[in-house]
Amino acid sequence: MNEQLVSMITQLVIDKMGNQTPDEQSHDTAVPPEDQKEILIKLQAKETSVADIVAIPSATEWSNEPLIKLYHSESHNHEQSYYSASNDEPTDTMAPITTFKFEEDEVSESVQAAKKHTPARIGVGRAGTRPKTKTWLKFRLDHAAAVDAVYGEVTEGLLQKLDVFQVTTRVTDKEEYITRPDLGRRLSAESKTLIQSKCAKNPKVQIIISNGLSASAIEENVQDVYLALQQSLNNLNIEIGTTFYIDKGRVALMDEIGELLQAEVIVYLIGERPGLVSAESMSAYICYQPRIGTVEADRMVVSNIHKGGIPPLEAGAYLGTVVQKILHYKASGVGLVAKEG
Amino acid sequence: MKTEKIYSAGIDIGTSTTKMVVSSFLLKNVAGVTHVPRIEIIEKTVLHQSPIIKTPFINKEIIDMEKIEQFIFQQYQLAQIAPADIATGAIIITGESATKENASEVVHAIADTAGHFLVATAGPDLEGIIAAKGAGTLQQSKNTAKVIANIDIGGGTANIAVMQYGEVIGTCTLHVGGRLIEFQNGIVQSISPPIMKLMKKWSKPLKVGDAAEDVRVTQLIQEMADIVAMTLSGQLTDEQHPLLLGHLPTWNKPVEAVVFSGGVAACIYEQECTNRQYDDIGEKLATYLLQHEQLQSFLWLKPEETARATVTGAGTQTTEISGATIQVDAEILPLKNVPVFDCHLDTNSQEFDYAVKTAVERADALFSIQENRSPFALYFSQLPYLSFQDVRALCEAILKHLATISSKELPIIIVIQSDYAKVIGQTLQAINQTVPIICIDQIKVETGDYIDIGEVLPSGVVPVVVKTLAFHSK
Repeated sequence: MNEQLVSMITQLVIDKMGNQTPDEQSHDTAVPPEDQKEILIKLQAKETSVADIVAIPSATEWSNEPLIKLYHSESHNHEQSYYSASNDEPTDTMAPITTFKFEEDEVSESVQAAKKHTPARIGVGRAGTRPKTKTWLKFRLDHAAAVDAVYGEVTEGLLQKLDVFQVTTRVTDKEEYITRPDLGRRLSAESKTLIQSKCAKNPKVQIIISNGLSASAIEENVQDVYLALQQSLNNLNIEIGTTFYIDKGRVALMDEIGELLQAEVIVYLIGERPGLVSAESMSAYICYQPRIGTVEADRMVVSNIHKGGIPPLEAGAYLGTVVQKILHYKASGVGLVAKEG
Repeated sequence: MKTEKIYSAGIDIGTSTTKMVVSSFLLKNVAGVTHVPRIEIIEKTVLHQSPIIKTPFINKEIIDMEKIEQFIFQQYQLAQIAPADIATGAIIITGESATKENASEVVHAIADTAGHFLVATAGPDLEGIIAAKGAGTLQQSKNTAKVIANIDIGGGTANIAVMQYGEVIGTCTLHVGGRLIEFQNGIVQSISPPIMKLMKKWSKPLKVGDAAEDVRVTQLIQEMADIVAMTLSGQLTDEQHPLLLGHLPTWNKPVEAVVFSGGVAACIYEQECTNRQYDDIGEKLATYLLQHEQLQSFLWLKPEETARATVTGAGTQTTEISGATIQVDAEILPLKNVPVFDCHLDTNSQEFDYAVKTAVERADALFSIQENRSPFALYFSQLPYLSFQDVRALCEAILKHLATISSKELPIIIVIQSDYAKVIGQTLQAINQTVPIICIDQIKVETGDYIDIGEVLPSGVVPVVVKTLAFHSK
C-alpha cells in the first residue's frame, strides 16, 4: 500500500510537469515562506536515504500536500520575494501568477541521436552540482517501481487465468526471502506433498513460475511467454508436465523439483532483480535433468524478457526451439556448447 | 564463438564501364549468451576487384549480354570462387545503361546463371545510396553530426545521396556525367538527349561535328558544375530543369560537407586520371567541379572508393541479415523479386481481419497479372505491442485471406519490422500445419520495394536484399 502511494504521488507530480495544469494554485501563495523553508529542509534530508533499497520512503511524508505543491510554489516564491523587495504590497494583488512549468528540454541533435541508442539517463543536464528536479523525480519514480516489484505479489487472478496451483518455499516473509537465499532454494514440506499429488511424473518438460525478485515481471510477461512456449512445444510435439507457481522461489529451487518429479528439462520463468531501466524484466532458466547438486554451469538463461527487451512472445517461441535442442543433445549450459561442437 | 563465412558478388553495369567485386562476409552471433541470438555481419573482406572494362554494346540500344557473362565468369576464375559458392550479392545496372532495351533481361539472365545471388535492379535513388555506402560516406556520417552529400558522378548521371548520423535523409539525380558529350579525333561525336534539351533555348546549339575545343562545350560543362552546386545549396527548385532526372532534392537540411565518387571523381582526388581512357568531357568536368566557387564553401571529404564505389556498395552493402528467430519453409527459398505491400495495423483486435483483407485485396490487384496471382510479401511495419491473443487473431486473419490461395509457388510471405517473426510463424503453423510459410523480421522495407530472400544459412538466418523499384523509363 505504501509503495503504491509513493509511486502514485510521484506519478502525479510527473504528470503535472508534463501537462502544465492551467488552474492557478492561488492558495499556494498563501503559505508563508517560513513554512516552505521547513519543508525544503525535510525534502533534502529525505534525499540522503534514497540510496538504501530496502528503506521504503514513508508515505506520510510524501502525501503531505505542501510538499508536492512546493514545486509549483517555488517559482512563485521567486517572483514573490523579488516583488516584496521592491514594494511591500501583499502578493494577492500582483499581476496574474503564471502556472508552474518546467523549462523545455533543449538537447542538441547529436545528443538526441545518442539517446536513441541507450535507455541510460544521458543528456539530462544539471542544476549546479545536482540533477534537475525532473530527472530526479523520474529517478525516484523508477526506484519506487523497483521497490514495488520486489515487495509486490502476483495477483490471484493471473494464477487462475494460467490455471496453475501455488506452492511455497521454506521462506516465511519477504525479509527472510531477501536475507536467506538458501531457504528460497527448498520447498516447504506441505508443498512437496502437494506437488507429488498434483503433478505428472517424469515429464519431458516441466514449466515452473516464480515471482522471484520481481512480481511485476511475472504479472506483465508470464502469460505471453507461457502461451507462446506452450504453442511452440505443441508444434514440436514435446509433451509438457503440470505447470505450477512458486511463491518466493530462488533459481536453484529447480534442482529439488527436478529430483522430485524426475523431469528431463525444466523451464523456470522467474522475475529478475529489478533495475532502474526496467522493473519488469523476467528470465527463463533452462536446465537438462536438474537434480540436487547440479552445478550452475549446466543452467542456461534467456534474460531481459520484457516489453523494452526481448519481446515476451518471441522469447516464448524461441524457448521452444532451445528446449528441442537440449532434448536432442541431452545436455544444457556448458555441456550443450561442448556437445554442439 | 563460432563464425560463418559467406561469399558475395557485386556487379555494376554502368553507362560507360562495367566492373565486379567478390567479397566474403563473416557472420557471428553478436548477442550476449543470455540473450536471444542476433546474427550480424561482423567483417567484410574484398577478395577480388575486377579491372574496369567498357560496358559492351551490340548497338546503341542493346547491351551485349554474352560479353558481360564472359567477363563475369573470367572474374570468378581469377577470384578462385565457383559461381555456386556465391550466397548473396547484387547485380545493378545504372545510369544510362538502365534505359537500354534489354536492361531488365540482362540483369535477370545474369542473376540466374552467374551464381545463387540475388538481384538488385537499382533505380537512380537506390543507386546513389549504394554508391554512398560503397564510398564509405555513410560510415563517415556516423562519426560526425555533419550533413554529408555523396555525389556519385559516372558516365551518364550524378546520383546524390545526403546523409546524417548514418541515415540517408534525401536523394536527387542529375543528368551530369562524363560521357554526355563524346569526342572523336577532336570533334564532337555524340551529345546525349538531356544536353540537347538544355540547349533548346540557345540560339546556336552545339551539334555533332563541331570542334571539341568549341567554347560551347566549356559552357555546357560550366552549366553542369553549376547545377551540381545549386542542387547541393538547395537552390534547385525548377522541376522542369532539363538536367534533373526524376524528383527534386528530398533532403531538408543544409548540406555541410561533400564527397565525390564515381568515375569522374577519380579525376578529382587523383591528380592524373590516365586510367580513364575515354575521349569525353569527364576530366574537364572534374576540373570545373574542383574550381567551382560555390562548391568551395563546402567541406570536402575524401571517399574510400571512387570509380568502384557503386560496385563495392553492390557487393558489400546491399545484403541484410534477417532476425535470428524466424520461421521459414527452407524448400521454397530462394525467392526473388517479391513485391512488398505494407499492411497497416491498429491495436484494436477486431480490425486485424479488415486490415489484412484490404491489404491482400489491394496487393492482389496491384501485383497480379491478369488472372495469375503472383507472390507478394505482406509487410507489417510499426506493429503495436501484441499479446498472445492479438497474435492469434492476426494469424487467423492472415490464414483466412491467404491460406486457400497459397501453394508451394505462392507461399505466404510475411515480413515484420519488429521482432515477432518466430511467434507469428509458429502460430500460423499451429493453426494450419500444411501451408508454406516464410516469416522473417527485423527488415525495413516500404510499399513499392522488392525483396530477394536467399537460402537459409547454417545459423538459421536468411540474407535479404531490399530493392527499390526497377528501371526508370527514358
